[in-house]
Amino acid sequence: MNADRQVVFDNVSKFYGEVLGINRVSLSVPPGITGLVGPNGSGKTTLMNLMVGLLQPTRGSVRVLGMSADHPEELFRHVGYATQYDGFPPGFTGYQFIESYLRIHGFEKTEAEALTWKAIERVGLVEAAGRKVAGYSKGMRQRIKLAQAIAHQPSVLVLDEPLNGLDPMARAEVIALFRELADGGLHVIVSSHILHEVDLISDQVVLLNGGYVVAEGAISGVRDEMEEEHPAQVLIRCSRPSLLASRVFEHDHVVEARIHDDGKGLLVRTRDADKFYLLLNQVVLDNDLTVETVMPTDSDVNAVYQYLIVGNGEKP
Amino acid sequence: MPVAGLAAPPVIDLDGLRVKLGGRPILNGLTASLKGRCIGLLGPNVAGKTTLLHTLLGFYPPSEGTARILGLDIRSQLREVRALLGYMPENDAFIAGLTGIRFVRLMAELSGLPPAQAIERAHEVLFYVGLGEARYRSVDSYSLGMKQLAKLAQALVHGPKVLFLDEPTNGLDPPARERMLRLIRDIRDTGEVNVILSSHLLRDVEECCEEVLVLKQGEIAVYCDLEAERRGNRRFLEMEIRAEADGEHAAFAAAVESLGCECAVGARQRLKLVLPDNLEIRDLYRLASERQVQIRRLDYKRDSLEDIFLKAMEGSGNGRL
Amino acid sequence: MAVYERSYGRYTGPATSEASRFLVLPRYAYEVVFKSKLFAGFLALCFAPPFFGLLIIYLYHNASALQLFGLTPEKLAQIFPIGGDFFFSGIWIQGALSFLLVLFVGPALVSPDLRNNGLPLYLSRPFSRTEYVLGKMSVLVILLSAITWVPGMLLLLLQGYLEGAGWLARNWRITLGVFVGSWVWIIYLSLFALAVSAWMKWKPVARVTLALLFFVLMGFGGAISGILNTRWGMVVSSWHVIDAVWVSLFGLDPGSTLPPAGASWVALAGGCLIFLWLLSRRIRAYEVVR
Repeated sequence: MNADRQVVFDNVSKFYGEVLGINRVSLSVPPGITGLVGPNGSGKTTLMNLMVGLLQPTRGSVRVLGMSADHPEELFRHVGYATQYDGFPPGFTGYQFIESYLRIHGFEKTEAEALTWKAIERVGLVEAAGRKVAGYSKGMRQRIKLAQAIAHQPSVLVLDEPLNGLDPMARAEVIALFRELADGGLHVIVSSHILHEVDLISDQVVLLNGGYVVAEGAISGVRDEMEEEHPAQVLIRCSRPSLLASRVFEHDHVVEARIHDDGKGLLVRTRDADKFYLLLNQVVLDNDLTVETVMPTDSDVNAVYQYLIVGNGEKP
Repeated sequence: MPVAGLAAPPVIDLDGLRVKLGGRPILNGLTASLKGRCIGLLGPNVAGKTTLLHTLLGFYPPSEGTARILGLDIRSQLREVRALLGYMPENDAFIAGLTGIRFVRLMAELSGLPPAQAIERAHEVLFYVGLGEARYRSVDSYSLGMKQLAKLAQALVHGPKVLFLDEPTNGLDPPARERMLRLIRDIRDTGEVNVILSSHLLRDVEECCEEVLVLKQGEIAVYCDLEAERRGNRRFLEMEIRAEADGEHAAFAAAVESLGCECAVGARQRLKLVLPDNLEIRDLYRLASERQVQIRRLDYKRDSLEDIFLKAMEGSGNGRL
Repeated sequence: MAVYERSYGRYTGPATSEASRFLVLPRYAYEVVFKSKLFAGFLALCFAPPFFGLLIIYLYHNASALQLFGLTPEKLAQIFPIGGDFFFSGIWIQGALSFLLVLFVGPALVSPDLRNNGLPLYLSRPFSRTEYVLGKMSVLVILLSAITWVPGMLLLLLQGYLEGAGWLARNWRITLGVFVGSWVWIIYLSLFALAVSAWMKWKPVARVTLALLFFVLMGFGGAISGILNTRWGMVVSSWHVIDAVWVSLFGLDPGSTLPPAGASWVALAGGCLIFLWLLSRRIRAYEVVR
């Protein structure tokens, strides 16, 4: 993909004096929703700050859609950032908060007004826009921050834990908004600790640990790559687990088959998930098995996190 | 003292409970009888969940109606009620300048434990939640995850019968979240405590709770038994497939429908189906084998709570600001 | 032997008495307070004046010891006459030291709890706001009592014992002055410090505020008195007000700079009410919704 349509990190390191931010990170982030995952202190915030141009790398270069932080006015125009922490000018209403931000960007008064209302509508805060931000609930504050990040219609959106404190409906609405923006060609980069949500919404993920990128890409692709070292684990609840075990063991890629504790299921580990599932179709039909559920137990972001981050000595 | 022959009182019994704050009505007549081991409390931000918890703790007086916890009235027997309760607040809450162990000891003694028992229980509970050597450090120096554990420890140390947890996994990174949820399930399973879990994360509530109370605009939108819902879901399936060919998901869904199932393609290409009585899962496998499609996941519908919640939020407005 | 399972269990042991539960707070506070060597030294210093008074009383009744100093009882009686003035000076000095002690210990009492949202943790237990305030007050009350009326009463009893029958009965005003005077100052100071600590989030700020309020009001009162040429101006100064109250309790001559006794009592009572009101506004389990 053309480098001008991606966010590119080229061998980037960032140190704060002696303290490590990130170390030799090379990334290419395509458009779509990218989940950013990692323990606290793994370098996520550093990465995000570098992406939006608030920080300069100690070594290496960061290019966002071909632009770099050397030309901040250009970069800031195309990038929107919503941080985890609340920093609102005291006394501002929601509307003023966004409109003033747009004016600083250089928009004319009428255009700024229009864009402000557009952003406010998109996050669903129209009724509350006239009230002071200081009186907002946590969920509302999250949404006004999001509105500020999208108001100037950036091409790259970087959001630090944007769903924190939102109730389930607001979560669904904001996720739908991300999807809409991503489908329109934006880069939406979202950091989160709620792994099953990351699973649900991301097109690709970036896993960070200790300042390094330990994995990146679509989660299924990442998991497939790990199959040698961490064979895929599947739990199949069926009528005759031992029969299923003997049938699948005939194949090389199956390295382990274990009857589940309650005797009604089989836990299989295989080095080649693609081959295994096609095999399973055959075995079920040939032996007239009654399958109740099929569940991969370690194919999601959670499992990848466990294997790559927790398993490598990161203190949880 | 329970009289022989009477059933155990419900954990929380609300009767027309109304609460006003600063003149504004927040809770408008709640009536419910909650009995489960772990009860989820859900709702939009301004629905009154925290107000309900604070009212049950006695921080605000009700303007009308009654509330009883394990049979004790919160208005007339507030002190006895509080002796039974443990509270883990959502916000940061601690006493500055104390070490973890000193903090939990203080809370234990304030709940009535003599000093000798207090220090024993404090260590026991800190061990149970998993705060090791860190207990000898000042709480100010704790990470967010450790502060959450310390908050949980002070809620448990005096052995309450009812535990209020307000967003217990807030801000925790994934391993810490897993550990917290595991702790909550463990606490629930000991059978000695009833847990009330208030959270925005439906998945957390689904994993831990058997009953759910959904509030909306200060009223009860729905109160349901999750166990019963799950048992009724046997014919509703979720499926994830993978195939070589592009566009296979839609084609497969069409093929499934032609077999007689209702089928829809949801988020992340997951298929949701309703299996009619005349079809078995084996028939789906036959279809998969014919089309060289991998069935990567096959499971009963897991997000019944999401459906329940969304349905509860329909109706006049969505109760949000 | 029992095997302890690593699981949650209910507490089934004895419980402490509810009435004295608030004393848990001073116990925990003292563990911290006495860690400071500076404070321990200061506290020891506070016992110096009563010790000095003890010496004087002893010397009065021990002529042979007096001779060591080259004094006679009559000469001693000229320098340190034991009567109302003697004990009044004692209370006056200890009263001033009390203010310094409160500056030391007071600000740390409530502000850390409020700053870190600790109140819901206290109040979700069978522990009321009143008990909280009582507990925090006791931290100060116990220490202040130890340096004011406790040594004062002990000295009085010693004097009465050595002097023989009737001395105490004849000098009942001294007893009143020592006991009631100490308690009035203790309660007023404690509430003052707690109220300031409850309204200032940071310990050093609370300390400075407390000191400022004390001294600035004193100066202010002096200014008013000077300008309007009246004694009533000093009513806003805590120190002059308590001074006036002590003087009236001991039955001594007030002089011309102190405000009238009746007004002083009212000022003290009013102050306490204001402090209690300020405390009730801030000691809450929930944050005030804007």
